[in-house]
Amino acid sequence: MARAHETTSETVLPTESPAALWAGIGALLFVVEAGAFFDFFVGIVADFLAATPLPGAGLVNGVENAVERIPTLLSRELIPNGGYWNGSRWVGTFLGLRPGVAWGIRVLLVYLYAFAFAGWAVLGYRLYRREYRTADWTPRDDMVDRFRGHKWGVFGLVVVFMFVTMAVFAPTLGPTTVDKNMRDSYSYEINYWNGEAGEVQTTLVGEANLASQSRGDTADRVLPMGYDDFGRFHPFGTMPSGQDLFTFIASGSRISLLIGLLSVGLSVSIATTLALIAAYYKGRIDLGLVLASDSVMAMPQLLLLIMLTTVLAGTWLGGIYSGGFVLALIFAGTGWTYMWRSLRGPALQVSERQWIDAAKSFGQRPRTIMRKHMLPYITGYLLIYGSMTLGGAIISIAGLSFLGLGISAPTPEWGRAINLGQDYVATGSWHISLIPGLLITIVVTGFNALGDGVRDAIDPQSDAAEEGGAAGRGGGA
Amino acid sequence: MSKLKYLGKRLLMSVPVVWLGASMTWFIIFMGPVDPASRLLSEGQTRNPAAYQAAQIQLGLNQPPLQHYLDWMSNLATFDLGRTWLLYQGSNVNALILDFLPRTLWLGFWSVLIAVCIGVPLGFYAGMRSNTASDYVASMGGIVWRAMPNFWLAIMLLTFLGTAYTLSVGGFALTFDWQTIGIGLDAISGSPDLSRLHTVEGFLAATKKVFPAALVLGSASMGNEMRIGRTAVLEVRNEDYIDLAKAKGVSKRALVWKHILRNALVPLVPIITSEAFLLIGGSVLVETVFGINGIGNLFYQAARSGDLPLVGTLMYVFILMIVGINLVQDLLYTIIDPRVGLEGN
Repeated sequence: MARAHETTSETVLPTESPAALWAGIGALLFVVEAGAFFDFFVGIVADFLAATPLPGAGLVNGVENAVERIPTLLSRELIPNGGYWNGSRWVGTFLGLRPGVAWGIRVLLVYLYAFAFAGWAVLGYRLYRREYRTADWTPRDDMVDRFRGHKWGVFGLVVVFMFVTMAVFAPTLGPTTVDKNMRDSYSYEINYWNGEAGEVQTTLVGEANLASQSRGDTADRVLPMGYDDFGRFHPFGTMPSGQDLFTFIASGSRISLLIGLLSVGLSVSIATTLALIAAYYKGRIDLGLVLASDSVMAMPQLLLLIMLTTVLAGTWLGGIYSGGFVLALIFAGTGWTYMWRSLRGPALQVSERQWIDAAKSFGQRPRTIMRKHMLPYITGYLLIYGSMTLGGAIISIAGLSFLGLGISAPTPEWGRAINLGQDYVATGSWHISLIPGLLITIVVTGFNALGDGVRDAIDPQSDAAEEGGAAGRGGGA
Repeated sequence: MSKLKYLGKRLLMSVPVVWLGASMTWFIIFMGPVDPASRLLSEGQTRNPAAYQAAQIQLGLNQPPLQHYLDWMSNLATFDLGRTWLLYQGSNVNALILDFLPRTLWLGFWSVLIAVCIGVPLGFYAGMRSNTASDYVASMGGIVWRAMPNFWLAIMLLTFLGTAYTLSVGGFALTFDWQTIGIGLDAISGSPDLSRLHTVEGFLAATKKVFPAALVLGSASMGNEMRIGRTAVLEVRNEDYIDLAKAKGVSKRALVWKHILRNALVPLVPIITSEAFLLIGGSVLVETVFGINGIGNLFYQAARSGDLPLVGTLMYVFILMIVGINLVQDLLYTIIDPRVGLEGN
């Protein structure tokens, strides 16, 4: 077998050391976009620290400024779309193209880059599996192969990946930035072609926004893929305030994803720990946990969220990340029950196995037994429920901000866009509510499909996710 | 006998659940970072020590916490729910709940019914014709339908129903206008009129009024029920007893109705009832969008206006509802599945 593998490596990669080549490609891919990655992570830390009384906010701001200076290949500076028409041609856009085309090229390149990165990761895995791993086959290979053949699951993975790319590259993807277009719109100027005067004039972004509001059937409204009177391109049209909807949504995807990841991470760890404890000790501890989780579940999740966000809104905790952090904590505090319910069964099954008895008779400590001999058998289920719960969290966050709770007002969030546009759905400005809703549907379907795919890959016989089906629905929002 | 014992055990288990849930609610509201008394007062009143004191005494917050907790819990247990502070100022909470609850129940009743009547047959249909084009269409529809956010779906449906459509085919015009079709409504959204339920016309009008809201509220459950119905039919179809029945020469009709569908219903019961919390949680958003004055809407308004004691009381009512539904589920279980309560003995 080993011989056959050597020959394949020679035909696929014309080099002595495929790993070095692979690492080189990876480093190259990383370096060209290092600025965007650092910006993503430093931005999160800065947002968290900005609201806490902890020291270090100044230092992080310094780092943030430094990070912004790291040259990045796919940036809005290299492929700008914010130019103006000077009467005969476009000035300031990429290669003098129309702003829409320039923006399209940038989005295309960002997604090409993201898929290249994913392809690089897949290549690395296959290289490792074929060339470097000592074992020819492990049970996990079958799972991966089953997942690759699961079209629905792969579709989910692609949707989720595109959503994550949108969140990570949000500042690059938008035709303008949150800062320039929304938060500080009266500090920035733009040039535009005034057709009546026949000359290029200057105005404030805030003023331009006022003249491109989408409120019903007004002549000023900007529909998806349209230009406003100032030569600015709006891929998803404008909001009732005249701000760019795409920028709003891209920025909102970031906060949805972060809260989702944080809350799912927390509830997964709580649920796993408690499931292992319940399955190992059984008896009274199990009963106590059943009662505790039943009591939390008896309070409808969405109502508990509303109650807790109201109570915690004024505290310093509620200020971190525009209220997102406390939202994630509440999600974790209420969401672990559903996950625990679903994990308890598999954990109990594992605890009945003979190797647990053997480990006990060896005198291994309970913690070691749980971690080494029980945990590996339930990690697969964690992936399934994690994926579905993330989808549910996105719906819940949107539902809360639709009601005006949760993420506080100026920070973009998908649910708020739906709320802002709900009066105009029947009018000419139908796009404001419709587009975010469609996106939520697609993303949540993607997370559910990914969960389905993982389930079928891990255990084709089980219908694990069926019981946890409600988890993917975010408490009924 | 063992069934009764099983039900009795479940009933006994629900007592600590209600107690724990109510205690957590008390802790969040009265021991949380927000002072409920100052939330009830306006800006000016907060600075007035006399008014603040009065509010504290009214809420019983001048007592030690343990005493307050015992008072609050005993008030809940005896359904002495007091009066509201901000919302519908000074009205009796019991009366308020009795006034608002029927609308939510009416909405919930129809949303369960619509979801079951569409979701289950569709799932069974897909399961009986698994891996055909119609199965894929039905399954895909269910999955996407389930992923749509309720509040968004509600807005879209309201917009769709709010416009009149005219379809003209060769000089023959067909008009569709939800508001006037069948029984005319004064408005497509708003609370249903439940006072005339006993008359045929009143019943139909109230049903039509909540129908769009119920359709939206049931959307998530409908998708779930479809998926699970499909899997259940698929599983039952592969059981040995189906083969045996076939070999015995059971007619196709009896095979499908008696042997496959009845057994496939068993896993659906817990799904239908366990989605109660989806319905109750979703009722807040759906009632808000459709303007139905139900208990979910009341909860949301109480939370917004800062009437925290009312929020706590309503949470207690929701806990009771969910625990009650879970008990109904156990009861249904024992009726449908004769094995329940026998295992372990």
